[in-house]
Amino acid sequence: MKEQDQIIPHWVRRFLQLICPEYLYEEIEGDLIYRYNRDLLKHNNNKAKRRLVWNAIRFFRPGILMRNNFTKGLNYQIMLKYHLLVAWRVLLKNKLFSFTNVSGLAIGFACCIFITMYVLDELSYDQYHGKAHRIYRLLHNSGNLADTAATSNNPKDYDVWGNAPVGVALQAEFPEVEQVVRFSGRARTVLRKDDKVFNEENIFIVDSTAFDVFSWKFVAGDPQKALAQPNSIVLTQSTAKKYFGDENPVGQTIEVDAIPGRINEASTCMVTAVLEDIPHNSHFTFDVLMPMSMFKRSRPGVFTAWGYVDTYTYFTVTEGFDINVLHAKMHDFTRRHVTDWSYNVLIEPMGDAYLHSEAKRQPGVTGNLSNIYLFSAIAVFILIIASINFMNLSSARSMTRAKEVGVRKVSGARQWALMSQFLTEAVLLSLISACIAYLIVLAAMPGFRTLTGKALGLELLFMPGTIVILLGSAVVVGLFAGIYPAAVLSSFLPSQVIKGIIKASFQGAVLRKGLVIFQFTLSIALIAGTTIVYNQLEHMRSVDMGFEQDQMLVIDYGYDGRVQSKIDLIKDEYEKMSFVTSVSATRTVPGGHFPKAGTSVETASGEMINHAPNLYEVDFDFIEHFDIEVVAGRGYSREFPADTAKSMVINQAAARLWGYPNPEDIIGKKFSQWGRDGRIIGVVKDFNYVSLHDQVEPLTLRLEPKWSTSFLALELKTTDFPAALSQIEDTWKQMAPHRPFLYSFLDDSFNRQYQADVRFGKVFGVFAVLAIFIACLGLFGLAAWTAERRIKEIGIRRVLGASFAQIISLLSADFMKLVAVAIVIATPLAWYVMSRWLEGFAFQTEIRWWVFALAGLMATLIALITVSFQSAKAASTNPAKSLRSE
Amino acid sequence: MSKEYIGEFEELILTLVAALKDDAYGAAITEEIESKLSREVNLSAVHVTLYRLEDKGFIKSELGGGTNMRGGRKKRIFTITSAGMAMLKNIKDSRLKLWNMVPELKIAAE
Repeated sequence: MKEQDQIIPHWVRRFLQLICPEYLYEEIEGDLIYRYNRDLLKHNNNKAKRRLVWNAIRFFRPGILMRNNFTKGLNYQIMLKYHLLVAWRVLLKNKLFSFTNVSGLAIGFACCIFITMYVLDELSYDQYHGKAHRIYRLLHNSGNLADTAATSNNPKDYDVWGNAPVGVALQAEFPEVEQVVRFSGRARTVLRKDDKVFNEENIFIVDSTAFDVFSWKFVAGDPQKALAQPNSIVLTQSTAKKYFGDENPVGQTIEVDAIPGRINEASTCMVTAVLEDIPHNSHFTFDVLMPMSMFKRSRPGVFTAWGYVDTYTYFTVTEGFDINVLHAKMHDFTRRHVTDWSYNVLIEPMGDAYLHSEAKRQPGVTGNLSNIYLFSAIAVFILIIASINFMNLSSARSMTRAKEVGVRKVSGARQWALMSQFLTEAVLLSLISACIAYLIVLAAMPGFRTLTGKALGLELLFMPGTIVILLGSAVVVGLFAGIYPAAVLSSFLPSQVIKGIIKASFQGAVLRKGLVIFQFTLSIALIAGTTIVYNQLEHMRSVDMGFEQDQMLVIDYGYDGRVQSKIDLIKDEYEKMSFVTSVSATRTVPGGHFPKAGTSVETASGEMINHAPNLYEVDFDFIEHFDIEVVAGRGYSREFPADTAKSMVINQAAARLWGYPNPEDIIGKKFSQWGRDGRIIGVVKDFNYVSLHDQVEPLTLRLEPKWSTSFLALELKTTDFPAALSQIEDTWKQMAPHRPFLYSFLDDSFNRQYQADVRFGKVFGVFAVLAIFIACLGLFGLAAWTAERRIKEIGIRRVLGASFAQIISLLSADFMKLVAVAIVIATPLAWYVMSRWLEGFAFQTEIRWWVFALAGLMATLIALITVSFQSAKAASTNPAKSLRSE
Repeated sequence: MSKEYIGEFEELILTLVAALKDDAYGAAITEEIESKLSREVNLSAVHVTLYRLEDKGFIKSELGGGTNMRGGRKKRIFTITSAGMAMLKNIKDSRLKLWNMVPELKIAAE
């Protein structure tokens, strides 16, 4: 009989077992052997073997397989039902264990869901446009012919903001450019409808082709005609509601004040269309659109001047467009049109505008790709930390369940059956966590919106696909976390475990320790990271900005001509007030928007060299008012009447730009800027007029005490701000009754630049707290388990006279060692990552050693509290109780 | 009589189950087809057909003894049910009825 068993090769038998239903297997095998023996009578051994294998393989057919699936499926269902029942009982039996795991995993899942939503939202920017993949935009770079930066191909040296004629020329000369739309820099002015007067700060003046290129949704009006005529205006829905309430705005008129520099006179415009509010996932948004024809009518020169910068240029291209081909033609194109200075353009797909664009002067806020990576990594880490909890606790508890495994094995359970049972437990736990995570997400959504400042919708959460993916990932995480404990548990030898011989596996203990170290490394790194982010934010607030920003009230009158005409009177009026220490009228306040100006200055060799530094247009009082230090020469002064026409003050960076490292040397040199020729009279210290992310750039301070001004800055010295404010407002209403009183405090508006950084710090902080919380949950569970396992040992120690403190330190020491190792690993890790992050700031805080000491101390403390809670419980158990039974 | 029809191969197997009586099992039937009809069939095809006939209720099966030839594995012995017998008779009758319609001449010529 023995040799008969060998007839069918092993693999063929395995194959048959796999495909044949169990109740048919024996007779099929018998028939095959019978056939083989018959064949042996006719053929040689090899041929008979071949026929046997062939016959066996032919059983792989639906008539056999289908029988199989039906009956086996039934079997699985029963097993699954049984597994679920057992899993459920186990969950209920070990409430602490289940709670620890479920809450950890649920928080982990919730973090992942949130971050996925955040990332998807970031990636969805501008994708709603029908022609999104065919929209491109121009980046511009102008400079001196001799300037090397001007010939660079690095987008960082380019601006999105550029001149107006290039767009028209582009469309005329390149057939692959289908349609061009230009829009002005963001404009602001006052709109009036009867008694409803609002300052609109988010206006773009656009070509009528805007709606051919972009696909914003119309609530009313015709896209083709909306901006075709001058004196038409397009509003977004919520803007229209401000002026017209529930009336139909289309066809009604609205008064629009002048937009200085663009539309120089006030006008009456007809509302031709209403758009749905611009989706938040757009790289630029607006509330009001006005036709470019009005800009052109008011300032025709702008539209032929290749050196005048005030437009963004976007265009659509034909299908099959190759960006490289067009790029190659751009050099000749710009040379044809501009010969006096160096002018280059780059082409950038609109899809890159939000996350990938490095150019300056963006039309809106841009996103941060590395933050997306960082957050995704953190979400994955948190989930891993939570999964580790499960692995650790389950494998630690394996001792407790060893007897169960032994009995099951003796009763005939195979290893795979036990594994599938333990995996069922893990998956069930994970699924429960996913459901709780879903509820957490629904409940915490408003908080998350505030945290990220994103108007995230809930639609995504309710899509069936999302739910399937969520449950699918929960199953995967369950399997991932459950596979190790399941393998360990199911591998116990029944003969040993039932006798009670189970050695705590050395490998298992090492792995557990390793995983705890891993968890705490991540947690400590996150704590240290958060501290560094906050240090940097604090550093930015405390850096000497080089100008006075406290108690500085700024009134915004948006270049209003009537205000400008009597600005001196208004200033006098305010200076009379006892709580106003000084007043200055200016085009730009620090932190605000400013233009660039082509400027020539005499170098040491006597040559006039042209650059385009930034430009502030200020009055006589500006430098003194903002307490900006003059390092060479003098500031503007009314005692020198020539200052208004022949003088200029620059900053140190500008002096360096023209080759004067020592600011004294540039005093008295000739300059020429925007039709004004004269001499440099002073150099001010490099005050930080933009965010501390960037170095201070070259700046020229041009004296324009009246007609370019837009802001009135008042330095206050009072403790009663409400009273002061109301007095200032009253005066304003007397002096400029037509102009709404719009004010802000300089430090507030300046610090708004750091909103994204503050937000980053908060998100980081929240994740750090969650990470350490989950890690501690795990530690809590492990400590509870250790204490439980060593309860007899503790009892004996107590009897022999060990003190309470000794027992606590005995139980806690092991864990503390792990945390200590984690600190050692986390420190260089966090240091490296955070120093990379700090590279994004021109003004960096130092990473100090105490940050890591603090993070380590916090982690140690939290871990100690967690562990000693359990230890104390164990230590205070009456030894009589714990030793009573053996 | 059930409206169910069976195919040619099914009919063949059913007939053989009836003919072989106590010795009707997969390998034997296969061998019978090969020797009596000189027709190549695959073992698995016979098995699948047997199971299908059993599903249809024309035959029933029980496990029989093993032999040395089959490595001690048990046989599954199939026996025809009365429904199977009725089906076979019905087929034979209808065939005969049709056969009688064929002109005698041809048979005579044979």
